[in-house]
Amino acid sequence: MKVSTRFLAAMLLPASLLYLIFFLIPTAQTLYFSFFDFSGFGDDKVFIGLDNFTELIGDDLFLLSMRNTVIILIFGGFLIFGLAFMFTAMLNSDLRGRRYFRAIIFIPNVIATIALTTMWSYIYNPRFGLLNSGLKSLGFEELGKTTWTDPSKIFWAMLVALIWIFVGFYMVLLLAGSDKIPMEYYEAAKLDGASQVQMFIKITVPMLWDVITVAVVMWSIAALKIFEFPFAFTSLEPVPETYTSAVYLYIMGFGQRTPIYRLGYASAIGVWMLIAVIIVIVFLRRAMRRDVVQY
Amino acid sequence: MSERTLLNPHSRNEMTTKARGWSGRLLTYLILVGWSLFTIFALSWIILASFKTTREIFREPFKFPAEIQWENYVNAWNSVRLGDYFINSVIVVAISLIILLAVSAPAAYALSRYKFRGVALITGLYIMGIGIPYPLLFIPLFSLLTALRVVNTLPGLILVYVSLSIPFTVFLLTGFFATLPGELEEAALIDGCTNWQTFRYVMLPLAAPGLLTAAIFNGIGLWNEYQLALVFINNPDNRTLSLGLYAMQNAMQYTGDWPALFAGVVIVMVPTILLFIILSERMISGITMGAVK
Repeated sequence: MKVSTRFLAAMLLPASLLYLIFFLIPTAQTLYFSFFDFSGFGDDKVFIGLDNFTELIGDDLFLLSMRNTVIILIFGGFLIFGLAFMFTAMLNSDLRGRRYFRAIIFIPNVIATIALTTMWSYIYNPRFGLLNSGLKSLGFEELGKTTWTDPSKIFWAMLVALIWIFVGFYMVLLLAGSDKIPMEYYEAAKLDGASQVQMFIKITVPMLWDVITVAVVMWSIAALKIFEFPFAFTSLEPVPETYTSAVYLYIMGFGQRTPIYRLGYASAIGVWMLIAVIIVIVFLRRAMRRDVVQY
Repeated sequence: MSERTLLNPHSRNEMTTKARGWSGRLLTYLILVGWSLFTIFALSWIILASFKTTREIFREPFKFPAEIQWENYVNAWNSVRLGDYFINSVIVVAISLIILLAVSAPAAYALSRYKFRGVALITGLYIMGIGIPYPLLFIPLFSLLTALRVVNTLPGLILVYVSLSIPFTVFLLTGFFATLPGELEEAALIDGCTNWQTFRYVMLPLAAPGLLTAAIFNGIGLWNEYQLALVFINNPDNRTLSLGLYAMQNAMQYTGDWPALFAGVVIVMVPTILLFIILSERMISGITMGAVK
């Protein structure tokens, strides 16, 4: 098709300009900033090479935030996908109200995270929260006095909430994919005497492989940058037990009650996040290649 | 068990996991109903609590309020200024969506319908943006907006919202444009249309479903988000609704006004839930569009 360069340029220019100026260049700037020590006030940018990075490696809070992020990614991911598969299988069987179940399981994904953190803080509130009130009214007096939000438990309490939120999203992806699997495959398998588990492993998973790959990549990116829920989950400031990499970046850069403004250090955390995304995506592309799965 | 399947050739079910016998089905229903009940209960509870007094929330968590306390909503809307923030959000999201679609649609069209040198590179650059986490943009963007003197303003936030949503939107729309048949373009060109006219009057209307999907997705995402607003808006006058709710949550420790907080939660939740109820099919098909071929 004949097309003038002017036309193409005009079509591409506005978006590309915005994207370049407000996205790509800032990304490169983060890399640049990570080699400096500065606070944004005054013009003192001191070049310190890799010092930010060496400091990160020894920074306990950073390591804690990394640990949390990784647990959310892997452990949380397994639970989320496990439940998503289970629900997909359930909703694919002859079931009444499939639409409603799908909608209800999905709905947390349309609700603002800040609204959900309020809801879950409320559920876990030790004095009058739903969980403890419910436990007490069921007779579990002692259990109903647990402080679910104390440091030893708060991360896991948060993880439960995160799983509840995300299961619906990935379930919807898997459901859409599995709708496309022709029934004949299952019927043939059944005639051959396949069990449910066998059908799942030999038919469902391979045929859903593309969808699963996309879903896992999406989850990985989402998990690595989780910010909104942890940041607002505890009443004022996030406690270190709920730090994720993104939260720690924000705190180091913008501080909280006490200003910190270590912009170079925060940028180093940003560089780490980018590297983590790259590593994970490269790993996933290798690990989830099609020829890994036999047809 | 297998007799059931052989005798029912018309049921669409017996595929992935057929619950065998009553116990399997019962378990399935129990789990699904249990999960759903929890969600419905938690959400309803918040709505109910927004009509109570503080005392009732503390003392009688499970009962209905003695009287409906509309004033919780009035407080949230006026004294906490969620009303102002609601309007801010409407303005910011509407304008962002318009600009976003106006720049992304042409770009996506150019990338998907034409072969030219560098098309793969440019497309790749756009898609790459989907994997770049927002937090690492906070600091450079904050500097940039400050230099442009739009930090803390709604226009500044709009610039950020649009630019950060471009990668995903372009990705979505290129996928969509790629599915449109080429004959129409050729026919239009033969009829004497310019490239622009072909795009604007022939292909763009055909892309309406894709544009709508992009609008819904980005709309909900931007309405709900508070992360970027937190970084770029410090002036309370310019807060968006979600950021306002965040601020309100923080202020809780001083005010202790739980009912108003729940009223705020309801104000934030209701628009997107309503949208979802009306548009659920389209939304769900939109999500799966990119992922499932």
